[in-house]
Amino acid sequence: MKRILEVNGLSGGYVPEKPVIHDLNFHVASGEIVGLIGLNGAGKSTTIKHVLGLMEPMKGTAAIAGKTFREEPDEYRGCLSYIPETPVLYDELTLWEHLELTAMAYGLEEKTFLQRVRPLLEEFHMENKIKWFPSEFSKGMKQKVMILCALLVEPDLYVVDEPFVGLDPIGIQSFLDYMVRFRNNGAGILMSTHILSTAEKYCDRFLIMHNGHMVLKGTLKQLQEETGLADAGLDDIYLLAARGGKL
Amino acid sequence: MDMKKVWTVRRNDYFTESLRYFRVMASSGLIVSMFLLIVIGSIYYAKLIKMLPENFPAELLLAAVFTYWLTRSPVRTLLKKADLVFLLPVESRMKNYFSHALKYSLAVQLFTTLLLFTLFWPLVQAFIREDTMGYLWFAMFLLLSKAFNLYVSWEEQRLPYAKQRRGYMFLRAAVNAVYTFLLFQNASFVFLAALLAVMYVLKNFVFGVFKKMHGYQWEHLLQKEHVMQMKVYRVANLFTDVPALQQTMTPRRWLNWLTSARYSPGKVLGNLYMKTFVRANDYLPLYIRLILIGWLFIYLIPDGWWQTAVILLFLQMTALQLCAILLHHKRNAMFELYPIRWDQKVSSFASWLGIITAVQSVFYALFYFAEARDALVALIIAAAGVVYSKWYVPVMVKKQAIHH
Repeated sequence: MKRILEVNGLSGGYVPEKPVIHDLNFHVASGEIVGLIGLNGAGKSTTIKHVLGLMEPMKGTAAIAGKTFREEPDEYRGCLSYIPETPVLYDELTLWEHLELTAMAYGLEEKTFLQRVRPLLEEFHMENKIKWFPSEFSKGMKQKVMILCALLVEPDLYVVDEPFVGLDPIGIQSFLDYMVRFRNNGAGILMSTHILSTAEKYCDRFLIMHNGHMVLKGTLKQLQEETGLADAGLDDIYLLAARGGKL
Repeated sequence: MDMKKVWTVRRNDYFTESLRYFRVMASSGLIVSMFLLIVIGSIYYAKLIKMLPENFPAELLLAAVFTYWLTRSPVRTLLKKADLVFLLPVESRMKNYFSHALKYSLAVQLFTTLLLFTLFWPLVQAFIREDTMGYLWFAMFLLLSKAFNLYVSWEEQRLPYAKQRRGYMFLRAAVNAVYTFLLFQNASFVFLAALLAVMYVLKNFVFGVFKKMHGYQWEHLLQKEHVMQMKVYRVANLFTDVPALQQTMTPRRWLNWLTSARYSPGKVLGNLYMKTFVRANDYLPLYIRLILIGWLFIYLIPDGWWQTAVILLFLQMTALQLCAILLHHKRNAMFELYPIRWDQKVSSFASWLGIITAVQSVFYALFYFAEARDALVALIIAAAGVVYSKWYVPVMVKKQAIHH
């Protein structure tokens, strides 16, 4: 499968000479959901910020379709959409204006925009809230706005940070259904989460981080083989890795 | 937990923070230009009072101003969001805390009331009463009423519904209106004393009853405190970057005709800036204020081509302050992630801002024409505004953008 995101020897952090992520190597290919898993403070968010091009690597590269953010900023950003852990919205835009703005910013044709937006609004039960402002939304609804904006763009790569917090069960299911559908259509998805049961069910591969290092990666089967825990679930493997057990 | 100590710590923190921002303001040139404006303003103020006709309704104006001023008597509680969790258990002891808050606000607002009245004193002298005793007389009655309003408005905050609070606020406004009107009519002491008695009754038997019926409306108090703190931050933000500043938003749906635009990916940012301008913080009121003040200057300053310079000054003030919109979405990850370069964001902002200032100069030109009946100078003003907007604004925006 074609690799969409390619991360090579990536180190980075917030203070010079003090990286919080160390020499990461991983990729996300077309048609797969990759789970990024780790304790609080393991370096997941920092990794995601590097993938988004919001932080500059100290060493190594993150490239989408072979190009780094420095080389082709617009193309790079145009290839991905991001669902943050905490919703960030424009206080002064309505739901509809958020969707419209996103579509315009990513250069969608108006026709495409209208075709895509209706079914999305229906699926997430937001079709009668298009004139609402963020101050009128609950946390879960704000999260839905983020999801709608990201899904609207239909990029090659989705970067999803802990999407389930605050969503109602139907919302979670709708979101996962969309992820599966876009994966089957050839998108790549990098998803960070603590909900291991869901991750185990939906992710094709896993990246397990601990203290800024990538300690394990592969399919569930590969992880089981590598840790010697045959038939173990993701949670057991993860706990072992997080407690710094023997690998 | 010693509530008095909690209050003292909060107040000292607040002072320290305010002082820090005040220092930044003082060291920036803006204080100097404000001082100059005040000096110039006071010269024209004296002139303006002389220009007023004999039958100018000074007592009505004063009554209106002070009705508003007395009715608006908010209490700074210095509450923080987390208090909802951490201070909720000691609610019964909060009385001590709030009484300190009340005393603090009382001291501040008695002082500002006196200041405001002093500001209006020349007007009072010209139309109502000239002697020094008059100053003391009016000031005393205003201060008494301020104290009443502050105390009662605090009790009012216990009411659970906004509608109820509004109702009682209107009641206060009505009392204040009658009171200030009588006061500035030079009504005899008996009338004023009667109204003071009414206030006393209201305080003890109407507003005083709320505390037996209702607890503190924590969320409402937090919200109010938040709004007041943001006002302070917004002023400071004109001078320096205030990280704690949060945006406010007013939908202003009646202005949707201004903000709605055709779907066009090419113009995406101009539209976003327009919506931000109309709905966020007080960008739009600021713009309107600057137009109105500009009109006042046009009116006061003798007619002539030199008005153009004044107008350019006003355009510059507007443009400088509206530059904040460029950075309004700085902390929004969505905005950062769009496949749009920063220089594109800056240049669309500059062309948007140019339109705004050009429209503003047209407003000035029209007013000048209506006031001076001089089409030539009006045209010069408009032309200068357009030249400024088209050629100078982009340069200035770029300069501003480099700083960030």
